[in-house]
Order: sequence, then C-alpha cells, then structure tokens
Amino acid sequence: MTDSIYAPRMARLADIRPMTELEKLFVVEFPDGSSLGHQPGQFVMLSIPGVGEAPISISSSPSRSNGHFELCVRRMGDVTGVLHRMKPGDVVGIRGPFGHGFPIEQMRGKDVLFAPGGLGLAPLRSLINQVLDERGSFGRVIILYGAKRPAELLFRDELEQWAARDDVEFHVTVDRGDETWTGNVGVITTLFPKITVDPRNTVAVTCGPPIMYRFVLMEMLGKGIPETQIYLSLERRMKCGVGKCGHCQINNLYCCKEGPVFTYAQIKNIPEAL
Amino acid sequence: MSKSPVAKPKVAFFDFASCEGCQLTVVDSLQTHLDLLDAVEIVNFREAATLDGWDFDIAFVEGSITRPKDEERLRRIREQAKVLVALGACADTGCVNALKNLQPPEEVRRYVYGEHADWYETYAARPLSAVVKVDAVVPGCPIDPDEFVEVVKALLVGKKPPIPDYPVCVECKLKGNVCIFHVGGICMGPVTRAGCGAICPTYGDGCEGCRGIIPHPNENAMEEVLDEAGLTLDDIMHYFTMFNAYREVGTGKWE
Amino acid sequence: MRLRVLPKERVPDLVRALMADYRVWGPKAKGPQFAFEPLYDPAEMRLDYNISILSPKVALQPPQERVAVFHLDGGFTVEPVIEAEPTVIFGMHTCDLHALALLDKAFSADFPDAHYLERRKKTLIVSMECLQPCDEHSFCKSMGTWTADSGYDLHLIDLGDAYGVYVGTEAGEALLAKYAQARPATDADVRRLNEVMSTKWPRFPHRLNFDAAELPSLLATAYDHPIWAELGDRCLSCGSCTNVCPTCYCFNVIDSPDLSLKEAVRMRRWDSCQLDEFARVASGENFREARAARQRHRMFRKGKWLYERFGEMGCVGCGRCIRACLTHINIVDTFNAIHASQHRR
Repeated sequence: MTDSIYAPRMARLADIRPMTELEKLFVVEFPDGSSLGHQPGQFVMLSIPGVGEAPISISSSPSRSNGHFELCVRRMGDVTGVLHRMKPGDVVGIRGPFGHGFPIEQMRGKDVLFAPGGLGLAPLRSLINQVLDERGSFGRVIILYGAKRPAELLFRDELEQWAARDDVEFHVTVDRGDETWTGNVGVITTLFPKITVDPRNTVAVTCGPPIMYRFVLMEMLGKGIPETQIYLSLERRMKCGVGKCGHCQINNLYCCKEGPVFTYAQIKNIPEAL
Repeated sequence: MSKSPVAKPKVAFFDFASCEGCQLTVVDSLQTHLDLLDAVEIVNFREAATLDGWDFDIAFVEGSITRPKDEERLRRIREQAKVLVALGACADTGCVNALKNLQPPEEVRRYVYGEHADWYETYAARPLSAVVKVDAVVPGCPIDPDEFVEVVKALLVGKKPPIPDYPVCVECKLKGNVCIFHVGGICMGPVTRAGCGAICPTYGDGCEGCRGIIPHPNENAMEEVLDEAGLTLDDIMHYFTMFNAYREVGTGKWE
Repeated sequence: MRLRVLPKERVPDLVRALMADYRVWGPKAKGPQFAFEPLYDPAEMRLDYNISILSPKVALQPPQERVAVFHLDGGFTVEPVIEAEPTVIFGMHTCDLHALALLDKAFSADFPDAHYLERRKKTLIVSMECLQPCDEHSFCKSMGTWTADSGYDLHLIDLGDAYGVYVGTEAGEALLAKYAQARPATDADVRRLNEVMSTKWPRFPHRLNFDAAELPSLLATAYDHPIWAELGDRCLSCGSCTNVCPTCYCFNVIDSPDLSLKEAVRMRRWDSCQLDEFARVASGENFREARAARQRHRMFRKGKWLYERFGEMGCVGCGRCIRACLTHINIVDTFNAIHASQHRR
C-alpha cells in the first residue's frame, strides 16, 4: 500500500504531568520503543483521531530521549482541549518530526543566550537541555525567562536546577508577582541589563508570544549580537506540516519547512513575520 | 479515541418561538442516521416523544425568546445543561422573528393580536445568546441535517462543533456552481455563513442569508455588489434584515 | 513531432471507447457556462467550450477527498486512502495544462503527496489548442500559456472537419493506437495546420503592459504599494478567486468521527488564503488579519513566490479569478497599475 504523508503513527501517552493551570507535559512513546529522532526546535503534528491535528513543538532534548519525547501543551483549541482530558496509556497520532530546528553545530564553542517568554520555553527547553548535556562544548550559558505570573512558570523543578548551577547564568522575572514571589518583577526585557555579553561570540535564542519579539530583539541587537546569530522559533497555523497546505506561509517562507526556527536576518525584512 | 465529557450523553430538546421545523429536521436525521440513537439518550423531546425528563447533559433549544417569561424557562434549561446548543436560526440569530423589532411595538401587537393585544405578553424577539450563554449553534432555517449530525459527533468527542466562519461562496465554488449573480440573480452567499453546502444556489436560488452573517463581513463591498445588481437601498436593507434583523437593529423599536 | 489527423466524427467513438477503460473527464455545459465533469455520454462533451468554472484540476485534487481512515479500538490503525483510477482528461486548454506543471512540482517537492501523484500517474491528458481567447479577461498570451508544446499525452488542434493530433508521450501514442485510428498527416494537413496557427496569433491580445518575466522583480518593489489597501477595501474574502484558480492547491485537513466513535476519517478540502481564518492559530492570533494583506499574499503567490520556489509561474492567465470576483478585483489591472506606478517617474 502506498503511504500517505497525512497518516500518523500511533503513539502512547506514557506519562502526563500537570505544570500550570493551562499547561501539561505529555511524555510520549512509540509502542515499538523507537525514538522520534528529532533535532531541538523541530515540531510534530499531533493527532487525536476524530478530533483533529495540531502542530506541537518538542520540549525534550534528543540527548535525553530514552525512547520517549515530551510535549508541553497549553489547553487552547480542540485537539489540545481533548488532549488535556486524556489519561496515561491513551493513544495519540504523531507525524514528524518536521521543520528546521536550531543549528546546534553552529552554536558549539559560542556563548548561548536564551530568552524564552511564557510558553516559548517549551521549544527552547529542548535546546537548553541539549546544550547543558554537552556543557563542555559551549561557552557561557545565559537563560533569561519571563512569564506573566509566578503560577505560569513552566518546568519549575528544572528552573531551580538551572538557577542552582554555577555554570548557568539564570534570571527569571514575572510581569506581576504574588504574595509568595520574592524575585524579579517586570517584563523580560528588564532582565537584559543584568547581563553583559561578548556579542561576536554569542548566539541568542528566543521564543514567545508575538508581541514579545520586537522588544526582546531590540535588547539583543542593542547588545551588538549580529542578526545572523539571533534565532527565533515562530508559531503559525499548520494543517500539513510538510510545505503543502499553505497555512503557515510567511511571505515565501514556509514556517513548517524553512522554520519554525529562523535567524533574525532571514525574517527582518518580512513585516508579516513578527 | 478520546473520552467524551459525558459517556452516553442525555439529550433534551426544547423550543420557544419557532415553527419547530428544526426539530422536525432532527427527527428526519434520526431516520437517516439510525446510529444517532445509539450514540445519545434522548430524555426530553416534546415534538417527537412522550419524554419530559429534566436530567440531561446536552440541551438543544429551538426558537427565539419573545416574552420575558421565556427567559425564566431558558435559564432553568441553562442551569441543568452541561452544553446548551442553539438549534436553528431562531435560536441562533433571532431569524425572521426579529423582523418585528423593526416595527413599532403597538403596531405589531395590534396587527398580530387584534383588539385583545393586551391579553398577550410579548417583547422584542432575540436569540438565546441575548439571555444565556450558548455553547454551540446549529445555524440555518431550517438546520442542515448533516450538520446537525456533525455537531452531535463533535460534542461526543468533546470538540467545538465545526461551524464554518467562511461564506457560502466557498461551498458554492467547491460544488462548481454557476454564480447566481452571473445569471442575473441576487445572492447573499458572499456574506452568509456556510455549512449548508450552498443548497439554495446549487438549485438555482440565491442565498437569503438564513444561516446568519459571517463574523467579519465586508458589508460595504456587499452593498456595492447588490447595488450593481440593481437593488435599491431599501431592497439591500431588506436582504440584510430578512433573516438577520436582530443583528442589524437588536431589539430595535421595542426598547 | 509527428502530426496525425483524426476526423471529428470519430471523436465520440474515441471517447466512448475510452470510457470503457477510463474515467473520462471533459467539458460539459452547466447552465450558460461550462464545467469539467466525468462524462457518461460522449454527446455531453462540449469541445467548443470557452472556459470551465473550476479548472480541470478537480480531477486530480478534488475539492474534498478522504486521505486516511482511522480504525479505533482503544489504540488505532490508520489506513491511507489513495483513490486513483485510470483517468483521461479530455479537452483541457493549454492554460490549465501549464497549471498542471506547477501542481506536479508542488505535490512532488520534499514530501511527495501520494494522493495527488498516484492519481496524476494514472491520468492521461488530451489537451486542446484554443483558436480564440475565451473572452476579454483571458491573458494567456501575456503569460505565455496560449499554446503548449509539452505536458500533454495528446494535443488536438481544430483543423475544421478534423483534429490535428500531436503525440506528446508514449502513453499518448499507445492510446491513439488502441482507441483511435488517426491517419498520418498529409502535406495538405500540415499546410492547413500552419494556416490555422498563423491566423490564431493575432486573435490573442496581450493584456499585461509588460513582459510577464518581469513580474517577480516588479512585485519585489511593490510590497508596500497603496493598491493593496484598495483591493482590501473591495475584497469580500469569499475565496472565489482562489477556488477557481488552476494553480491554487492550498487545503485544510479535517478529522471527523463516525457516531459509534469506532472509526474516523481524515479529509482534506480546498482552502483559501483569502478567508479570514486561514492564518489564525488556536490562541486567536491572526497572522494575516487584513484583507489587503490577504490579497497581496495571493497576488505575490501568483506573480512571484511560486515562481521562485518551483520555477513555474503561479498565474497562467486563464482569467477565472477576474470572472469570479463580484467586486471586480482584477489581477491584470493590478499588475498593470503597479507597473505603471513604478515606471511613472
């Protein structure tokens, strides 16, 4: 039988971990134990048969695959809404991995500055953990993380680990604090004055809500980081994941093929991109 | 397959000011989709069965709200229902019932009830959503039986019913129809919500807008199209209000 | 290329013979217009048609098709649905033939799409030379698609009482040998053909005021042109321009369960970049919210982006989008206006 590029493989939810009011972490495995074989920054098309399919970025790093991968998913639409009601052992469909991830080879030997906002940590965590697992191959590792409220911080246990490491410069902020919060308050850009970088030798990586990019990019460019060394992971509507259906087009770039990871140099002249 | 929020949902049907044609269409789809009765348990359906249960998960409500005391009953349905679905145009948009909102109340009351108008309570016609939160709609006058089944399926798997936000033109083109405007007709298809399979244009009649206006219509452009097709401003207003008067004027001259 | 000659009175027999072994699509009357549909009787075929409402791509990428069936049993199995049957598209005009070249590339690139490609593999194309433009909206001459020397299996040219037949492929040769006794052309046939073709050219006007090869570079300077706002004001966002377009292939993917929840189908359906929701994500963010931006997107795909990606122009000059638009958005006028404003100074 001829295969269809739109037919997913069956996968199982090995574990589901609540993260915030809106986000859960889904640990996914294929019944035959095979690995997904992804690069940090890539995404999968996740199907719930009869409900639909949605593009989801991969949150786990290939260096920690162990026959499974992780998806940090916000409850938002049909597919994610039903997914959030599922139990460990339930099955989903997976196509992919798709897209162009982070070019980790070109990052080796350099300082890496991560600046995820909100759910933008989901795709960046894949790269962050890969970098930390090969810590010796990189220069400084700086993580600036911003969320709206303390209750919306993702991967809290890992944030604590990153904060505790002396080979990671970690700063976190929330737009609005609460009675338990003693850390930074303010948008993510307020973290940038806390760090200095060697711009020539720094690769910057960001992902977050659309409104965030302009301000974060200003900070990165302000620090002198070249446009070709600033990476963004963009979100778009996707129905095929393989460059056919047209939904994810950003002018002539297909977010599902040339992206979702772009350099700022690639998209800076495309008003539609940001 | 995902678990439905309710295993085999208990379903009830209710009606307010309407012709009950949408419930009749439901009865019709029960005959063409025999497995509907395996998928849900009907506990209240005055039009079709001697059932009057009030323990239900999904309420399909036909009809517009036209009397203050309707609100009380609708709120009671809302309290009980996990999911409340507006069944058909009367419930969804106010449909032709809302035409009366364009006329002065006294005139309408005298015209409809004659000298005993005082005996009857009535106020501006309105869709269910003017009174309670509506979770889903099955648009149309009458509803499309296949779309009704699609809505039921969506509720079974716990997703938002797939009611299109795009206009009838899309479905009309996908059917390869001759455009009604190209044969001298008038059609509200460019601004009317699809989902009916463009049934009227497919049979040569212009769309009259019974499924409601799409979310972001280009009304100026549509008015120009109708003007070019020879309609007067009054005619154009008539086309926009026949099924969509509530959208145009709300409660209009009544409040 | 060898020319054969097929007397016109033999065409119905040819089509009838083909219908026994193939699904044959051809132009049929639909009210005062024409549509490509499966033929059930050779007499239905109207080779004198001007243009079909939808392009014959409907035979290769149907408006809606199933792509997979899920069988649900706690887990699930997936059964791809590849529906391809031996097919002949009869009477395709050369604009639509050029469009197929683009569709072939788009569905083959990177991740080959078997649903289209299997159907394409089993489809033979019998195209037809147009001897006059469809109407005032055709601009095939400007787009270089008013004739064709490849892409078909057989190509018919009306010589009066017979068709001249060019054979484009071995499959075409075999089809001709098996189903139609076309005779070799005589010198007189060739003279007649040359006469027909030489009188054809002047009948086709150029409608673009510049060479279509300039389109990609012209548009490169027109991203912020004020014309997009004008088009945006007029656009109904009804999607008709893209749905009738022979090179548009964007689609939506839709899953639907059956009532027993034991089976589900995955369908794809034509979608349009002109619809409000096309670029909207689940969070509500709409990345192409303005009608002006959506019209610009369409025009750029037609005149620049698809060409840059696949080496085939995204517009073949058929004029369908112009005819379909109720608010007179006109791709030729748009391109001409941009050209005029860039060359005014």
